[in-house]
Amino acid sequence: MKIPRILLVDDEVAFANNILKLLSKRGYDVTAVNDGASAIRTLGEKEFDVVILDMKMPGMDGIATLKEIKKKEPLAEVVILTGHGSVESGIEGMQLGAFDFVMKPVSIDDLHEKVCQAYQRRLIEEERIKQQESGR
Amino acid sequence: MKLKLETAGNRGQTGGKRGGGNHYSRLYRKFVFLTLICSLAPLFLVGWGIYIYYSGFSRMKIESYFKSQVDHHRGIIELFLRERTSDLQLVVFTHSPDYLQKTPNLRRIFNVMNREGCFFTDLGIIDYQGRHLAYIGPYDLMGKNYSKTFWFKEVMKKGVYISDMFMGFRNAPHFIIAVLRTDGNRKWILRASIDTEYFRSLVENVKMGRTGEAYLSNREGILQTTPRFSGKIMEKAPLPAAFFHKESGIGILETDRDDPNQRFPRQIVAYTWLENPRWKLVIKQDYSEAFRDVNHANRAALIFLHLSLLVILIISVISTRYMVKVIKKRDEEADRLNKQLTQAGKLASLGELSAGVAHEINNPLAIILTENQVIRDSVEETPTLDESFKTELFTSLSQVDAQVQRCNLITQNLLRFSRRTISRLETVNLNAFLEEIIQLVEGRAKGMGIQFSADMEKDLPSFLSDTSQLQQVFLNLITNAFDAHDGKPYGTISISTRFNNQREGVEIVVADTGSGISPENMEKMFDPFFTTKPVGKGTGLGLSITYSIIKRLGGDISVQSEIGKGTQFNIFLPFMPPADVQENLDDVFVNPPSSA
Repeated sequence: MKIPRILLVDDEVAFANNILKLLSKRGYDVTAVNDGASAIRTLGEKEFDVVILDMKMPGMDGIATLKEIKKKEPLAEVVILTGHGSVESGIEGMQLGAFDFVMKPVSIDDLHEKVCQAYQRRLIEEERIKQQESGR
Repeated sequence: MKLKLETAGNRGQTGGKRGGGNHYSRLYRKFVFLTLICSLAPLFLVGWGIYIYYSGFSRMKIESYFKSQVDHHRGIIELFLRERTSDLQLVVFTHSPDYLQKTPNLRRIFNVMNREGCFFTDLGIIDYQGRHLAYIGPYDLMGKNYSKTFWFKEVMKKGVYISDMFMGFRNAPHFIIAVLRTDGNRKWILRASIDTEYFRSLVENVKMGRTGEAYLSNREGILQTTPRFSGKIMEKAPLPAAFFHKESGIGILETDRDDPNQRFPRQIVAYTWLENPRWKLVIKQDYSEAFRDVNHANRAALIFLHLSLLVILIISVISTRYMVKVIKKRDEEADRLNKQLTQAGKLASLGELSAGVAHEINNPLAIILTENQVIRDSVEETPTLDESFKTELFTSLSQVDAQVQRCNLITQNLLRFSRRTISRLETVNLNAFLEEIIQLVEGRAKGMGIQFSADMEKDLPSFLSDTSQLQQVFLNLITNAFDAHDGKPYGTISISTRFNNQREGVEIVVADTGSGISPENMEKMFDPFFTTKPVGKGTGLGLSITYSIIKRLGGDISVQSEIGKGTQFNIFLPFMPPADVQENLDDVFVNPPSSA
């Protein structure tokens, strides 16, 4: 079975590192970057199934990064990390095509579940595309 | 002690910078003063102007009347004297002395002269040596020699002479008209004395009211007729001679203050000098009578002035009272709004701050939570560790989790307070909604011995509102009510709803029978982080959130409390939430996310 590839984008280095560790232990291939620009760059170098994207970042913010990701890699599912006060940005993100949003502080179990769901959807999407291509 | 506060923002109104009632009474006095000045100044100016003009005008009128009277009267007197003189001249130039010397002839002439009136008292013929040749009259003057008298010398010199009043041989005041006839070297004089009483009545024949009089006096100021009041014939006239320095004149003679008897009141005096004899005619009247009409008009004007004054005073007081009342009301309204604005501003800035803090805290909390998980994972992967140590460590880690969750709750509350949360407007059946909430907390209430009593308005219309926020409002209030019953074995929480037709909304009252709120706490109860609950039990955000939610939904909240008796929250909710809340709704929820 394929190992799900996760791109984690969060400017909080300690948080990113912890999530990296925890998700790696739970069987994911995780790459962590600390800003939007690096995320876009990394996305060009390697393919990812799920992107975990923090909304509030200095420089290129979550929404801009999300738009860029959706342009570059439409199939990558995006799970948004947001604070309680920025539910709006989470909803905005979903309108822009994100899979779902989770609120910080998030327990690893909740995050794990969301990532799992996102990965499942990514697989279903891939399957649908394959079928469409073979059916043509 | 009973205390009522409209909102937290309403307090301390009377102690504000306006200094309470004192300020308004000062304002009141100032306004009254100003309006009085503004209305009285023109009133007095106009009144004074009219008074001056009218007084001058009427004085001029009266004076000219007096002047014409005195001139006219002089004409009459002079005419009389001229006529009498010409009577005598006619006789003396048409009759010879021999004829006239005969007494019957003289009597016939005397009778003819007096036919039209008793002008003459007597009539006599005097020769050039001053001897009385013939005499008709009541006195025994025959044979008297006049050669030494003043009038005899004058008539011999001038031909015609009208004397001043004098006593003469008859020893009674009289005056004479004498006419000289020269015929060759014969000279004789026809002399007649004018009837003093007749002459007096002629002079007096100017009726000038009750106090008016007219008289004649000669150059030396000796009265030639007896005036009505002041003095007698041949006496010194009472008015000072200095007053009559002109040929004719008119003036006001002031009361002589040095006169101990104050005999003469203020008078208007008109005078004129006769040509021949040089007598002056004086007409005078008491000032008060002459100017009675003017004074009357002035008094009437004064009464009107006082009436207007009174009316102005009353109007000014009433209008000022009304104005000050309006201002006071406006001030109070402004004060209230100001306080509300201050409170709103305070809450808004606190909201900003809280939102910032909450955000900043979220990140470390997230790290702590993940860090905790990392430790947990590492411990689980290390089989060599002692089981009891592991158990203890996991307990501690769980505690860390729990405390992080607590912090999380606080930040959530903070963010909710800071209005960063989104309204989700939906139709609310308030009565059913409140019943649901009561059901939700009834179990807990029973355990504390608290009863619920609901008094709902029937047929309350459903309206648009945010149910989740309303739920929070009422849960907050009910939780507080529960806490207020701490230490009491039983109590009641009553919830009622009333339709408010006037304001188009609903009034909700949540009242408890708890411990009540002290006035000093009442001032701060809507402030964020203010709590009377023990540390760890309350965040002090409940009522702040309640307040901001109600305000955000376009309503208001007020509280009444009495220590030991309970607290009552009065909430008003409009049927239509404010436009901005509805706008927000349009943006976010009317177009639901397509990918959801």
